[in-house]
Amino acid sequence: MKALRTELLICGGTACNASGSTKVRDALEVEIHKAGLQDEVRVIVTGCNGFCAQGPLLLVKPDNILYQKLTPDDVPELVLEHMLKGRPVKRLMYTAPESAEVIPYSENIPFFSKQLLWVLRNRGILDPERIDEYIARDGYLAAHKALVEMKPEEIVEEVKKSGLRGRGGAGFPTGLKWEFASRSPGEIKYVLCNADEGDPGAFMDRSVLEADPHAVLEGMIIAGKAIGAHQGYIYCRAEYPLALRRLDIAINQAREYGLLGKDILGSGFDFDIEVYQGAGAFVCGEETALMQSIEGKRGMPRPRPPFPAQRGLWNRPSVLNNVETLANIPQIILKGGDWYASVGTQGSKGTKVFALSGAVNNIGLVEVPMGTTLKEIIYEIGGGIRNNRKFKAVQLGGPSGGCVPGHLLDTPTDYEAIAKVGAIMGSGGMIVMDEGTCMVDMARFFLDFCQEESCGKCTPCREGTRRMLQILEKITHGEGEMSDLKELKELAYFIKDSALCGLGQTAPNPVLSTLQYFEDEYEEHILERHCKAGVCTSLFKARCINACPLGQDVPGYISLVAEGRYEEAISLIYQTNPLPGVCGRVCTHPCMEVCMRAQTDEALAIPKIKRFASDMARLRRLKPRLVRREDGKEKVAIIGGGPAGLSAAFYLALMGYKPHIYEELPELGGMLRYGIPPYRLPRDVLDEEIRFILSLGVEVHTNCRIGREISFKELLAQYPAVFVGIGAHKSQKMGVLGEDHPRVLGGAEFLRNYQLGNVPDVGKKVAVIGGGNVAIDVARTVRRMGADVTILYRRERKDMPAYEEEVEDALAEGIQLRTLVAPKRIMESGKRLVIELDQCELGEFDSSGRRKPVPIEGCVVTEEYDTIFAAVGQTSDIEGLGGLLTKRGVIPADKFTLETNLEGVFAGGDVVLGPARVVDALAHGKKAAVQIDKYLSKKKNREPVGISEVKIEVTMKVPEEVTKQPREEMPKLAPEERVKGFKEVELGYDEGRAKTECLRCLRCDVKL
Amino acid sequence: MPKLTIEDLKKIKEKTLQETALREGGHKIRITVHMGTCGIAAGAREVMDALLQELAESQRTDIKVMASGCMGMCSSEPNVTVEVEGQDPVVYQHMNPLKMRQVFRRHVLMGEVQTDFALARVKQVN
Repeated sequence: MKALRTELLICGGTACNASGSTKVRDALEVEIHKAGLQDEVRVIVTGCNGFCAQGPLLLVKPDNILYQKLTPDDVPELVLEHMLKGRPVKRLMYTAPESAEVIPYSENIPFFSKQLLWVLRNRGILDPERIDEYIARDGYLAAHKALVEMKPEEIVEEVKKSGLRGRGGAGFPTGLKWEFASRSPGEIKYVLCNADEGDPGAFMDRSVLEADPHAVLEGMIIAGKAIGAHQGYIYCRAEYPLALRRLDIAINQAREYGLLGKDILGSGFDFDIEVYQGAGAFVCGEETALMQSIEGKRGMPRPRPPFPAQRGLWNRPSVLNNVETLANIPQIILKGGDWYASVGTQGSKGTKVFALSGAVNNIGLVEVPMGTTLKEIIYEIGGGIRNNRKFKAVQLGGPSGGCVPGHLLDTPTDYEAIAKVGAIMGSGGMIVMDEGTCMVDMARFFLDFCQEESCGKCTPCREGTRRMLQILEKITHGEGEMSDLKELKELAYFIKDSALCGLGQTAPNPVLSTLQYFEDEYEEHILERHCKAGVCTSLFKARCINACPLGQDVPGYISLVAEGRYEEAISLIYQTNPLPGVCGRVCTHPCMEVCMRAQTDEALAIPKIKRFASDMARLRRLKPRLVRREDGKEKVAIIGGGPAGLSAAFYLALMGYKPHIYEELPELGGMLRYGIPPYRLPRDVLDEEIRFILSLGVEVHTNCRIGREISFKELLAQYPAVFVGIGAHKSQKMGVLGEDHPRVLGGAEFLRNYQLGNVPDVGKKVAVIGGGNVAIDVARTVRRMGADVTILYRRERKDMPAYEEEVEDALAEGIQLRTLVAPKRIMESGKRLVIELDQCELGEFDSSGRRKPVPIEGCVVTEEYDTIFAAVGQTSDIEGLGGLLTKRGVIPADKFTLETNLEGVFAGGDVVLGPARVVDALAHGKKAAVQIDKYLSKKKNREPVGISEVKIEVTMKVPEEVTKQPREEMPKLAPEERVKGFKEVELGYDEGRAKTECLRCLRCDVKL
Repeated sequence: MPKLTIEDLKKIKEKTLQETALREGGHKIRITVHMGTCGIAAGAREVMDALLQELAESQRTDIKVMASGCMGMCSSEPNVTVEVEGQDPVVYQHMNPLKMRQVFRRHVLMGEVQTDFALARVKQVN
C-alpha cells in the first residue's frame, strides 16, 4: 500500500458545476490514471469554495495552490507538470487584477486572506457527502456535549451569551427566541430550518447546505434539545437540487450512525429531521407562510401574535431559524458563547456571510467579522469595481433592503449601523452597482419582483405595490410628473405600516432608499426625460446620443457623412452643437464610452468623424442650414466669451434675442483659446467658428471685465437677463511650502500668458505637478519651447484624469512621467529650484474608489528644476459679481433651470460645475438660452420662442453583416516634427478613411 | 449499523483525520522528490513509490511528500530533500528504492542523517 501524497479538492458547488467542474473532475481522473498516479493522488469533490466567479476551482493539498477557470483541456498539462513533475502551472493560477501578479497560494489571494471562516470553516476542504470527514473536523461533538452534558437552560444561556442574532435578515436574538419556545408549554414542539432563500443575488444558504450540510443538522439537534423538540423540518426550495441531494445524503448517513433518530449517542434524546421541498414562492421565506406551506396549505402569512414560539407549526410551539444561524450553533456550544462574542461589534457578534455580486471583480461568497466596513468588503475582498468603472451604490438585503451610496461606504456591517443608513443587513445579499446602473430602474426591478411575489392576501401589498410599480414604470418611460414622487413616498409609508407580513412591509424599501440618496436621478427622468446611466431605453434613441450632454444625433450625422451628404451632415450637427470643429478635436467624447461597437471590437471614432464633417464644410464652403426666428427682442448680457457663453449667444441669437458678450481678455474663446494649445486646436478653426456665431447677430465687448470696466450692478440695470459663463482660469494652490516662489507658476496662468504673447523664460529643466489635461497641455507647450519636462503625479498613471491619448502623445514627444510622488517643499538654491518629493505607496481606498497615495516613511527625494508648474486644478475668479451667491468658489445655480439667487441672472459652465468638459459648458450655454427665453417670454406674457430645428432626412438602415474591423487610425504628425512648433498634431481623416469609419456604426438609433 | 457512542465518534475522527491529514497542514517533516525529466529517467518514480509505501506503513500524518522540479544537478539524480522542522534540509543523491527506504526509516523516523548518501546539508539562510 502506498500513502497519498496529494489531494485535489475540486469545487462541486452549483456555480462551479455550472461552469463545468464535473467535466474537469472526469478529465482529472482519466489523466491521473494515465500517469499511473492513482495511488498517490486523489480527487475529492467539495462544496462551494466561495470564489465563484473564478470557477471551476481546484485546490491542491498539501501545497495549497489554487487553480482557477479550469477546462478539461488544461488537465493533461496540469497533471503531467504539477502532479508528476512537481512544476506548478502558472498560467492556470489566479492573477491579481490590479498588479497582474500571479498568486499561487490561496492564503495569499486577498479574496481569501481577509475573510474569517467560522460558518464556512469546512467549505471547500471536505467532501460533503461523507459524514466521516465532518466528524474528523469535530463534527457532532457539540451535539454530544449538548445532549449529554448540558441542560436545556444551559444551552439557551450559552447561545444568549454568544449574542448570535438571526441571520435570515431580521436579526432577532437567537437565544431569546429559543428561550420563548422552551418556556412554551406543550409536549410536541418543532425546530424548523428556513432554507427558502429567494432574494435575487443571494446564495449563502445554498452554499452552506452544499458545502457543510451536517453543520445545519447538528445545529438543529442542539436546538431540539434546547426547546424540547423531537422533530425538525428543513424547508428548502426545489430550485436547489444539489443542496437537496446533499441534505438527503447527510440525513441518511446521520440516521445510519444513530446521530438522528432514537437515543442519539446514548443520551436518551430522540430527534429526527425531514426535508420539505418548497415550490419557490418568495413569501414562503416568511415564517408563518412557511409553516402554512409545510402543513400542506397555500403559503400565505398570518398575523402575529401569536408568535411561532407559542403557536407555530400545527399550532405547536416552534422555533424557526435560518440556515446560517443554525450552522453557527455547533461551534458556539463547543467553544462557548464568550468565544463567539469576542468577535464583532457591540450589538452584532460573530461573523456574517455575504453573497458578493454585481459589478465587482471578485464575485463570490465571503465571510467576515461583524463590523468589517462595506468598503473593505467591496474593495479589498471584492477587488474593486470591474473594468475600472466608478462605484455607484451597493444594495444590501435584496428586495427588502436598501442601497448605500459611495460616501457611506465606511459603514460597518452591524445590524444597527446598516439600518441607520436606510438599508438592512438582510440575509447577506450584497449587489454592487457601478455608474452604468440606473437607480430608478433598479428600484423598479426590485418592486417588480415583490409585486410578482406578493401572495395577494392583504390589500396594501397586493394593490399598493402594483400602484407603486405603475408609477415607476411611468417614470422610466419618460411620462413621470413631479407629483409622482410624493405619491410614491406616501404609498411607501402606507404599505410599510399596513402590510400583513415582512414581504409587503419591506417591499417599498428600495424605492425609499433610492429616493433618499438618488432623488436627483428621479428628477432627471421626470424633468429632463433623461436617464444618465443609459438604461431606460424608452428615453433615448441610442446610447451615444444619451451620453452626450448636448444630445447630438451621432448615428444621424455619421450616416450622412457615410453617404457624402456633407451639407446635411454639418446642418444636423449645428442643430445641437455650435462648435463642431472645436468639439471634433478636443471633446472628451462620453459618447465613445458607451458605444455598442466596443462589444465587437472598438468604439467608433465619433469626434473624428465630426471633425471630418466640419473640415469638409470648410473646404467646400458649406454653410449649415439653420432656422432663425425674429420673435425674441430683448438684449441679453453674457459674461464670459468661452464655450458656455458662445453657446448661449448662438442659441439666443437664433431665437431672435440680442446677446451681448462681455469678455475680460482681448479675444473670445475662453479656455478654448487661452487654455488649449494650438497644436490641439488650430486658431483658424476656432476663429472661423466664432465668426460664424457672431455673424448671427452677437455684440462683443472684449477687454471688458465686469467689476472693472463696468459694474455688475450697471449690467443688471441695462439688461433684463444675464448669463454668467465664466471659465475656471485660476490655478489652485498645492498647499506646499514654498509654492509662492516667483518661478513656481500656475499652469492655467502660464497657458494664458503664452497665448497672450507673454512667454516667460522657463529654463532648461522643468517639472509639471498634476495629472489632468492642463498639466499635459503645459508640459507639451513647454516641451515645444525646448525644455526637458517631467510630469510629477501622486497617484498611478491609470488614475490620471487627463485623457489617455493626450498622455500617450506627451510621452511620444519625450516628456517624462513620474508617478507616486507628492511635492513636500520647494526651496531656492542658487538660480534653481529644489523640490523635495515624498515617494508614495498605495494605501487604503478613498471615497473615489482609488487607492490613496501615502508617503513612504523616510523616502524623500530631492530634485532640481529651473521652473516648476502647479497644475493641480482650477477655479473660477468670481470677484466683482456683488450680490451673487457663491459657495466654495462656484455659483450654486439650480441644476435644471440654471437660475441663481438673483432674478433674471443665470449661470452655467465651469463657474457652476467647477472645471468641466467643453461639451458640458456648451450644454449649459444651450440650457441657459432656453431658460432665458422662457423667463423673458413669461415676463412678456408670450409663448417661449424655443429652438426650431431644420428637418433633415436620415437613411434608417442597419449594416447587414458585422465583422471585426478596428477603428480607423488618425494620421498624426511625427513626434520629432511636433516638438518643433505648434502645428496641429492630428492631421484629420481623408474622405476614404472617414467613410470606412462611418460604416462601422451599428446604427443603434434604427428601431426595427 | 449499530448506534454510535461517543467513543465510536472519536474513533471515526481519528481514522478519518489520518486519511485527510494532507488538507489540515501542520506537517513537521517535508520530503521532496525531485521529479524533473532527468530525475524520472534516473528512477525518481520508483523512489517515490518506495517512499509512499514506507509512509503508509509508518501511519504518520505529520509528514508531507512533494514532487518538485529538477534541482539543476542532473548528474546526481534522483535527488531527495528531507526537511525536518527546526533542522537544516539534507539533500540525498543517486537515490534508489532501497536507499529511500533506509533514509525514511533512519533519518525521517529516527533522526539519523544518512551521511553516506547525502549530497549536501543546506544551510538555512534567513
